[in-house]
Amino acid sequence: MKKLLKKLLMETDKRDLSFFRNDMNSSLTRPLGPTLAENRNVLQTLYKDCADVIFRSFRIGGTVQAVLIYIEGLSNIEELDRGLLTPLVQMKGSCGDGDIFALMEQTLTTSQAKPVHTFADAVDQISSGNPVIFVDGQAAGVSVGLAKFEHRSVEEPSSEAVVRGPREGFTESLSVNTSLLRRKLKGPSLKMIAMNIGRYSRTRVIIAYIEGLVDSTLVEEVVNRLGRIDIDGILESGYIEELIEDDPYSPFPQVLNTERPDVVCSGLLEGRVAILTDSTPFALVVPTTLYSLLQSAEDYYHRFLIGTLIRWLRYMFLLIALLLPSFYVAILTFHQEMIPTTLLLSVAKSREQVPFPALIEALMMEVAFEILREAGIRLPKQVGAAVSIVGALVIGQAAVSAGLISTPMVMVVAITGIASFAIPRYNAAIAIRMLRFPLMFLAGTLGLLGLIIGLLAIIVHLCALRSFGVPYLSPMGPMMPMEMKDVLLRAPWWAMLTRPRLTGKGNKYREVPGLKPDPQKGTE
Amino acid sequence: MIEKGKISAFQMSFTMLPVIVSTVILTVPSVTVKYAGRDAWLSPIWASAIGLVAVFVACRLHQMYPGQTPIEYAESILGRIPGKIAGLLFLLFYLHIDGIVFREYEEFVVGTFLTRTPMFAVIIPMVLLCAYAVYNGLEVIARSAQIVIPVLLVFFFLMALLLIKDMKISHLLPMFENGLKASLWGSVVPQSWFSEYFLISFMLPYLFDREKAVKWGIVSVAGTAAVMVLSNIVALLVFGKLTSTFVYPVITAIRYISIAEFFEHLESIVMAIWVTGTFIKISVFYYAISLGAAQWLKLGDYRPLVLPIGFLLALLGYWCAPDFPSLAKYLFTTNVFYMMVVQLLLPIGLLLIAQARQLWRKNRR
Repeated sequence: MKKLLKKLLMETDKRDLSFFRNDMNSSLTRPLGPTLAENRNVLQTLYKDCADVIFRSFRIGGTVQAVLIYIEGLSNIEELDRGLLTPLVQMKGSCGDGDIFALMEQTLTTSQAKPVHTFADAVDQISSGNPVIFVDGQAAGVSVGLAKFEHRSVEEPSSEAVVRGPREGFTESLSVNTSLLRRKLKGPSLKMIAMNIGRYSRTRVIIAYIEGLVDSTLVEEVVNRLGRIDIDGILESGYIEELIEDDPYSPFPQVLNTERPDVVCSGLLEGRVAILTDSTPFALVVPTTLYSLLQSAEDYYHRFLIGTLIRWLRYMFLLIALLLPSFYVAILTFHQEMIPTTLLLSVAKSREQVPFPALIEALMMEVAFEILREAGIRLPKQVGAAVSIVGALVIGQAAVSAGLISTPMVMVVAITGIASFAIPRYNAAIAIRMLRFPLMFLAGTLGLLGLIIGLLAIIVHLCALRSFGVPYLSPMGPMMPMEMKDVLLRAPWWAMLTRPRLTGKGNKYREVPGLKPDPQKGTE
Repeated sequence: MIEKGKISAFQMSFTMLPVIVSTVILTVPSVTVKYAGRDAWLSPIWASAIGLVAVFVACRLHQMYPGQTPIEYAESILGRIPGKIAGLLFLLFYLHIDGIVFREYEEFVVGTFLTRTPMFAVIIPMVLLCAYAVYNGLEVIARSAQIVIPVLLVFFFLMALLLIKDMKISHLLPMFENGLKASLWGSVVPQSWFSEYFLISFMLPYLFDREKAVKWGIVSVAGTAAVMVLSNIVALLVFGKLTSTFVYPVITAIRYISIAEFFEHLESIVMAIWVTGTFIKISVFYYAISLGAAQWLKLGDYRPLVLPIGFLLALLGYWCAPDFPSLAKYLFTTNVFYMMVVQLLLPIGLLLIAQARQLWRKNRR
């Protein structure tokens, strides 16, 4: 497997270089030349009109010509002055024709330094913030690990808040993110493969997995799919998600994205693979199932009874968010006999003034709600409050008293909206939001029959959907009764004996059996 | 192989359940009661014997010709031309039966709920839905069944529970008034439905645990019989001998449910739930036709055939009967023999010929 991985990685690199030759400069694949002037010239033409790239010439020990190249703002300048320039410039005696690496070993006081042999290497190093030194008479340079740039500190993830659980979230810096993972999973079996994707962005992407738990074909598949990507730039993990998912036309997300390191780690422990992308706090976890999109990290941190209860509540919310408006429309249009008489009378009374059929009424309200929701996200915070007040007033009160909308419909739409917020993953909630509208049309034309046909179509679609080879509805379809412990229930931790069967092939068992606490046990 | 998906025997047994149950639950109690009277609850148990025979025949044939569907092994057994004719017979039969199922569905929905909706407005969405499922293959149909059937069963038992206060145990008494003959007569119509278990022969080649096929086939037949017994008992307990006067006795019984004057008129919900079962039923037949047609024509893929066959099915649903009474009459008379001949006698004939050929081959050696 490792051989294959290496081969794949090599292939991507080769391809990347070939495009460099086409797009930019043929000199890139060449090894570095023996004279400083030549190397300097090539790099200076490459970095022509790049005001942020600094070429600093100096003489080592006052004799040998050398040049230091770095990008402003990406490197730690104090450390550069103190640990690199000062010792080199003030060096006593000549370094003569001695090996550049021996020299570096003696004088550099930085922890990371590695040789650079081609221009492509040099460019990669410089762009990622590591200053590179070239010395006259040497066909190699040295890159020094002094990358340091401004980034946000670790904060509580705003998109996935919890009451109980770790409060740290990923940041935009990849090295911080990998360190967050490593702090939770300290064993050396946590592997991270690095790739660079994007012709211009050269975005660093890390594929993380736990060796021994993960199915090795899954890692190969992920590497494969990532290796296929050839694009100008990756600005967010969403680009990658869309480029590697199984069914691009499905409304349902087939990749889980999260800002929380603990969610990624729990995925890794179940034998899944995580994809971390530089410059975004959102990590991807594959494969995923519908049920893992309906779970929140907190389910596992609270005690299992409330975890189970909340899970059921969530399934109910899911159904409400998907079906309530269409159910209301269907009942009101086709099956009035199902409504108890007293309720029917009050509904009829409030609908007396309304000129529209229930379907149009529901559509208008749902669209208005979607507009409000979207506006609420995009608006500057200061204006947001005003908009929500106006929205609530206009939609809640004015529309009803103007006789455009009936009060029950306002309630139905409001409950639907709130229920859709109760789905923990934003991208899963989006799928439900979108599917609500076709269902409403079906319910408005064929009543409950249309509703159930629409629902069945969704079920068939979900049954056909796969995420990296894992059926999307597993363990419900195909049914695996033993796996229900984490779907219908949140089994207590002492009963969570096995990993999900389809991802945890490598190592089936999570824990030793018989962990159930019991006061008698301690005395034995 | 044309179908690339694999299912388990457990999934197969789940998928077969609605194939029998979903139409039987509607009309069969009334017919069974007509012949069997108070002993109608016993009839499905007799009838299930036919289901077992169908399962055994299908499994035995598949054992002799592993990895082949009836369309394929008919040719190996009978030779090229007669085999093709037998295959065509299967295909046309299933096409016809699936058309009838579409019509039953349409008659039930339009006759009971959407009385002013034109026939094709009800049939076409269903055709499209089933085509979508069939297009996605056997795996998807089986998985959908696994999701839909538990819900269906839970609702069914819930409805039976809610009806308890309308039930009179005296409707069942005296038992065996006319001996067992009455219940045996009553089992004739359900028998024809149980012969549909021969459909598993279109799934057997795609099981990954073929050795469990017989076991799960029997479990499935038993489950079907249990649901039928329960529906007959419910109808009998609520209506007694009156059951035979209703077209859809179970649905009529459910209209009686009224809990706290709030849960009333649940039949629309029941219709919706019932439609999910019918969807599986139609899809299984539809799948067998599409797959069989592709094998009959020696195509590499059945998917291009799905939509044209769906069009045919919608038309057959329209053509198969002029109105509901004649459909019902047909279902309870001619259809019984029709189904038994194609799904039971024909396979048994195939099996006998195959056995004879095997013996002959052995003797010659």
